[in-house]
Amino acid sequence: MADDGSTAEIAANAPRYRRKSSTFIDGIHDVPDDQGNMAPAQLYSTMSGRLFHSGRIAIVMVGLPARGKTHICVSMARYLQWLGVKTRIFHLGDYRRATVGEGGHVPQDYFYPNASPASVMLRQKILKKCREDIYGWLNHENGQVAIYDAVNPTASGRRALAKEFAKHDVQTLFLESFVDDEDILKENARNVKISSPDFHGMDPDEAAERYLKRIQTKIPVFETMQEEELNYVKMINAGQAFFYNNVSFNYLSHRIVFYLTNLHIKSRTTYFVRAGTAGDEDSYKADAPLSEEGRAFAVKMTETLIRHREAERQSVIDRGGADVPLRPLSVWTSTRLRTIQTGEPLNELGYKVRQRSQMSQINPGVCEKLSERAIRNLYPEEIEKHELDPYHHRYPRAESYHDLAVRLEPIILELEREQNDLLIIAHESVLRVLYSYLMHCSTRDIPKLKFPRDEIIEIIPAAYQNEAKRIHIPGLDPRLVPSSPEDIRILVPGSPIGAGQLSPIPGPSSPGPGDVVEFIVTRPPEKVVNKAKEMVADKVADED
Amino acid sequence: MAPKMNGIGVQVENTRICVVMVGLPARGKSYIAQKAQRYLKWLSIPAATFNVGNYRRNDSPHPSADFFDTKNAEGERKRRAAAEAAVKDMLKWFDGGGVVGILDATNSTKERRKWVLDWLTKEGVEVIFVESKCDDEELIMANIRDVKTTSPDYKGQDPEEAAQDFRNRIRNYEKVYKTINADGDENDLTYLKIMNVGKQVIINRIRDYLQSRVVYYLMNLHIRPRSVWLSRHGESLLNLEGRIGGDAGLSYRGDEYARKLPELVLESVGSDRPLTVWTSTLKRTIATARHLPKHYNQLQWKALDELDAGVCDGMTYQEISDMYPEDFQARDEDKYNYRYRGGESYRDVVIRLEPIIMELERSEDILIISHQAVIRCIYAYFMQKTQEESPWVPVPLHTLMKLTPRAYGTEVQTYKANIKAVSTWRGKGSTAKHEDPRPDGGV
Repeated sequence: MADDGSTAEIAANAPRYRRKSSTFIDGIHDVPDDQGNMAPAQLYSTMSGRLFHSGRIAIVMVGLPARGKTHICVSMARYLQWLGVKTRIFHLGDYRRATVGEGGHVPQDYFYPNASPASVMLRQKILKKCREDIYGWLNHENGQVAIYDAVNPTASGRRALAKEFAKHDVQTLFLESFVDDEDILKENARNVKISSPDFHGMDPDEAAERYLKRIQTKIPVFETMQEEELNYVKMINAGQAFFYNNVSFNYLSHRIVFYLTNLHIKSRTTYFVRAGTAGDEDSYKADAPLSEEGRAFAVKMTETLIRHREAERQSVIDRGGADVPLRPLSVWTSTRLRTIQTGEPLNELGYKVRQRSQMSQINPGVCEKLSERAIRNLYPEEIEKHELDPYHHRYPRAESYHDLAVRLEPIILELEREQNDLLIIAHESVLRVLYSYLMHCSTRDIPKLKFPRDEIIEIIPAAYQNEAKRIHIPGLDPRLVPSSPEDIRILVPGSPIGAGQLSPIPGPSSPGPGDVVEFIVTRPPEKVVNKAKEMVADKVADED
Repeated sequence: MAPKMNGIGVQVENTRICVVMVGLPARGKSYIAQKAQRYLKWLSIPAATFNVGNYRRNDSPHPSADFFDTKNAEGERKRRAAAEAAVKDMLKWFDGGGVVGILDATNSTKERRKWVLDWLTKEGVEVIFVESKCDDEELIMANIRDVKTTSPDYKGQDPEEAAQDFRNRIRNYEKVYKTINADGDENDLTYLKIMNVGKQVIINRIRDYLQSRVVYYLMNLHIRPRSVWLSRHGESLLNLEGRIGGDAGLSYRGDEYARKLPELVLESVGSDRPLTVWTSTLKRTIATARHLPKHYNQLQWKALDELDAGVCDGMTYQEISDMYPEDFQARDEDKYNYRYRGGESYRDVVIRLEPIIMELERSEDILIISHQAVIRCIYAYFMQKTQEESPWVPVPLHTLMKLTPRAYGTEVQTYKANIKAVSTWRGKGSTAKHEDPRPDGGV
């Protein structure tokens, strides 16, 4: 034991407050500071800050380690926050680590049903601290859904928990991830726990097997959920089947089940890229084809992507990973001609390209083809409103980013459902919204995100936190890179069009319209500084 | 070629889904089928129900219970032929652009399910089985009483005899009925099993987004008998002036309606069982609900607020026509899709009402006090009104509507408060301040 477990010490180490990260780090674990700021796809707000007339809910996770619980928690939190439901995850493991201190371990009998009094005491102290935080957040910080991530292995423990939450006027929904498919278990163990120093240099399959055995000895008793009087959802074999026992479900619970039916726990990558440029005649209504430069862009983008994927695979092999074939790649475009044609070189190579009508760009309404000056002259009062709230404001006849986010919701669910790697070719406005879902950006930042045309953004999902990478497309005509002429002139306070906008990822930004640059620039793929890996590494020895 | 799209953005892209109902008679299958169809159509997804019973009825209009005995070879042959005819028609309908076809029959044996699955899979149609399983005798009897009075099979027959016949018919099915995956060899099917009206649910192998969406909706359904009451707010001060939108209080007569509403509701409910009241967040609906009994639970929904008229908020139709003549005309041409400058269209309202519809489906007796456009959209959902009709439906002030979903459609009863109010209905092209609704709805 690393410490005496005094309350002060636990509080100091408690994982309650994380710093606010920037737009290039997945913000899913941030503590939002702006209470009044609405979420990307929030349909309405209420005085209490709670939505769907659902009151306060504790979603209690149930399941042994390596069942994908953390992934499920984080994904669910991502979706609920996107809808505007104030959600926070409480990982019991974080509290245990905070309590036993760095390098400390819980006693061997920590999870045993007949544990020693000292272990029971420790267990209860950790549980108490975690629950105090849950109540504190639900009662005093306007929280609505607390996700309690722990093993919760016994029926009696779960019954007691539901009773305790009910006493605090919190409804409990249990969510069990039940896996009896050996392949899924091994895959999970390999993916999440493989980098543990304990298994260093070991054959991955053997390490996975050892790890699973270790869980069994550490947590000998686990009862799958059968409690008729409790609300629960049992997710079987990573979403192949669901069983749910409904005592008093509400709309929000159903919505969660709906989301879960689209979730899977396989790891795959999403790439974002802009469409090539069209001819001069293009406008929102005209839907013009690609220009010659645009076609050249499509070819170069395709080459870059394929080269990058192959290089990534090679680097896995070089690091001693298995020589597995690349995951298949699907391509989604909007129904706009420019995006479809940008996907053509990939289509010719045999990649499957699907057109998604919901992914068409933000509707510019009356602002179509107007210069910033013209908009300022014609709609001075709209400009004023827009500057107050660029995310929710809609110009006459136009869509707001909020409208766009609501329209993209089906795409987000299908994005979760997709099992192949995925390249999304779309207008910058659409990329902004989809990126903000995967990387959890605030609505203040979304309209400002910038996707230079000479970059492919890669998003790699991880159980705890997604990470992003920028891949430079070399050899492009610099005139291609700035925002497309048909882009809606959505004005951002304090920043003139086309300049000073925020790139989602730091690093050498693409050249502005007036910059003198070398014609051909080659940059290696660049990984974004990111704590995700370390955070997972930190959780490697984690037994819940 | 660009794929088809529809209002809510579920991209249909060659997806063709057949929802195959499974379950004994009187388990609410037709009800579920009809609800799913209505929901999908409301969201602009082409959907149709193929009721095998209707095909069989063409052949044998008033069969006795013996007909349904599996040992009755003639009956068995006829029922099989009816199922074949229904599937054939469905395939024809898919070729014409159908997206979700619902096969409404008992499909109570493994053999029958395999036959349907194999045939449809061969035709490139995804199959999802939806089973309603219920052991609660009271619920079954309530359902029989309901079905017996509304089923075409028993038209003009003695109710008691009919009920008895129906019990016997069910017994014949019970002999061969096998719930999905009872033997563990139907594990590969995509299915949704709803047990005891949603107390337990099993979802197995959902294969795409549209399936998950249908499942999500069906999970919210229940078959307990209930009604939904709809009322607009009492006449408002802006109504008197013929102005749209705003957040005005009630007129004197509007207030009178608010005071009379409890009595009207009591008369319609017929007992003192409490309703849950949903209002918008605008003054006029909250004021209309304020005299309702204290034991009625009241909730305010932002999603029930009136269609946002954007720049036209607070204007009369004459003013809109003067200031935005093109808009005024565009709106009359396609009222469902027309979006006010800086405001909303009917389609936008339908999208924001979806959570309300979901919540409504899982709730029991609800009284909704809202606004003209919102009530029209909710009414269109229950009454299957098309997008051309729904924005023109007359919804008079000071009138309470009671909607009761039944197996074969929704029943409507209206209760007039007999308190005078202006008419806010407007015919196509008209800029009149107040105008009486025309019987054809003005379409």
